[in-house]
Amino acid sequence: MQVAKGSYPWYSCGIALGIAVLFPLLAGMSFHILNVAIIMLIFILFSSAWNFLAYSGQASLGHAAFFGIGGYVSTLIARSAGATSFATILAGGCVAAFIGFLLGLTCVRLKEWFLAMVTFGFAVILQVVVASSLAATTGGWDGIVSPRLIPVSLPNYLVIEYYVILAVTVVSIVAIYLILRSRAGLAFAAIRENETEAQAAGINPVRWKLLAFTVSSFLTGISGALMVHHIGFISPEIFSADNSFWPIIYSIFGGLGTISGPIIGTVILTVVWDSLKEMGLTYERFVIIGLLLIVVVIFLPKGLVSLPEKIRERYAQRKKG
Amino acid sequence: MALDFGILLQVLFWGLYAGCIYILLATGLSLIFGVMKIVNFAHGELLMLGAYITATVFVLTGINPYSIIILTMLVLGIIGIAIERLGFRPILGTSKLNEIFLSLGLIYVIQNAAALIWGDERQVLTSPYQTVTIPMGPIQLPVDYIIIIIVTALILVGLTLLLKKTSLGKAIRATSQNRKGAMIVGINVERMDMITFGIGAGLAGAAGTLWVVSGQVFNPYIGSLPAIKAFAIIILGGLGSIPGAIIGGLIYGIAENGAAYFLGGVWKDAISFLILIVVLIFRPTGLFGESGE
Repeated sequence: MQVAKGSYPWYSCGIALGIAVLFPLLAGMSFHILNVAIIMLIFILFSSAWNFLAYSGQASLGHAAFFGIGGYVSTLIARSAGATSFATILAGGCVAAFIGFLLGLTCVRLKEWFLAMVTFGFAVILQVVVASSLAATTGGWDGIVSPRLIPVSLPNYLVIEYYVILAVTVVSIVAIYLILRSRAGLAFAAIRENETEAQAAGINPVRWKLLAFTVSSFLTGISGALMVHHIGFISPEIFSADNSFWPIIYSIFGGLGTISGPIIGTVILTVVWDSLKEMGLTYERFVIIGLLLIVVVIFLPKGLVSLPEKIRERYAQRKKG
Repeated sequence: MALDFGILLQVLFWGLYAGCIYILLATGLSLIFGVMKIVNFAHGELLMLGAYITATVFVLTGINPYSIIILTMLVLGIIGIAIERLGFRPILGTSKLNEIFLSLGLIYVIQNAAALIWGDERQVLTSPYQTVTIPMGPIQLPVDYIIIIIVTALILVGLTLLLKKTSLGKAIRATSQNRKGAMIVGINVERMDMITFGIGAGLAGAAGTLWVVSGQVFNPYIGSLPAIKAFAIIILGGLGSIPGAIIGGLIYGIAENGAAYFLGGVWKDAISFLILIVVLIFRPTGLFGESGE
């Protein structure tokens, strides 16, 4: 895959980063656009974390579980300590990672649908537990207020928030890139392509899969914590299937198993999604996104990032013919 | 705590009745899995379509809703064939993850198309036999439950006869056992895929009819959870095993309603996944499954 080849031209990364850094100026500090951009950044992190797990061949259908764990842990600590959210966000990530490690222990032996089912079910169970058994601390279905990442009293708090979240996202993606470029990335790819052969080559699949699960849940927990501190509210709705499915859709749309896939997918689909909303569409939006997903899975299984290559191939073929 | 025998009986019958819907879904999924080795996570959306088609026909014509089941099964069968032909066939043999992703797309498309056509309010139909009950020991058993259990049994008998006695059934079973071998003896396996998917979708449609006529609330989103549970059932019962799907469906229906009664309603959905996860930790191939792939 592309990561192994290291075929990322630095200039395109630079341009993307430049746009991201300058964005608040371009956006003219419009409250709405900044909000959309912040949520987009959070979902880029979330999708990249999901994609990281998929890179090792494990497709989770319940990543909302870790998203929510990160959010709840960070919120509850921040509320009881009254502390700023930065340390608590890390704590949220760590707890999510620990629970991800435990769930990973049960999942390493499972494949495809089995894994999909267990992860999906885990999110459903967690939602029920948080909403009912833990209602005394979590506020049940009504949810609780979550302290803002940047106090609203500060001037330009949304811009500051944007840059903080951008920094976290960029650092995380660089970390993912470095991990996937290292021996770990090779091990993940080997396990994904053929677990038995990987084992024969001396790779211990259980160890690497657990690592992937733990790192992925850590980053997902971080993104979840960022999300609730941005919105300022958390309820068991955070464990909903929609939250599990969006990162999957973004990643597939952009390109599964690539670094840029989740980023491109999230950006493009967010723009499409919001433009459709502007056009006043409601259910049609979901139908369109669903159809797009189906078309991409059937005709462009490697996602949008593979489109230029595919077009080039077509063109070359036509020239020959 | 003194357990009331009547309440136990009530829970048991609720469970049987809920189990019928799970059985119809799980049998279809299992049949499709056996032949095509794929899983359609959007199977529950077919149940939902069946529910709406039944409700629409009933409102338009006012005929006995139970008799609409045949029409629903036919319509859903055709929809199923279209889904197989346009969606699943192109990705057959590619990465297994693709099926999961394709199903996700289908879920979004079907749910929201239904919401566009019929709206997303919660609706409910009243069965013509709503007030008829049969005294059963200490409880009054709604006659609808009995009808639903009988209808499900009839459908399953019909399916078994189809699979065991007809040449089409033989071809389906042959494809399920050995796809290459079936090809060699001249079975058009792609046609078997199509027919099987149609049958599976038809069974889901029947489940939709039963859902509606029994007076359960329906909206475009009812399908997801039953389908995921049906999938859990076929994992427990062993992928591709129809008896496993039937037994698993009954166990699930009863366990779920027992849990809802004894632990509280919120646990109804969670308990089924808890069962699944616990079973998978100890037996990754399911309760009755042979060693999987």
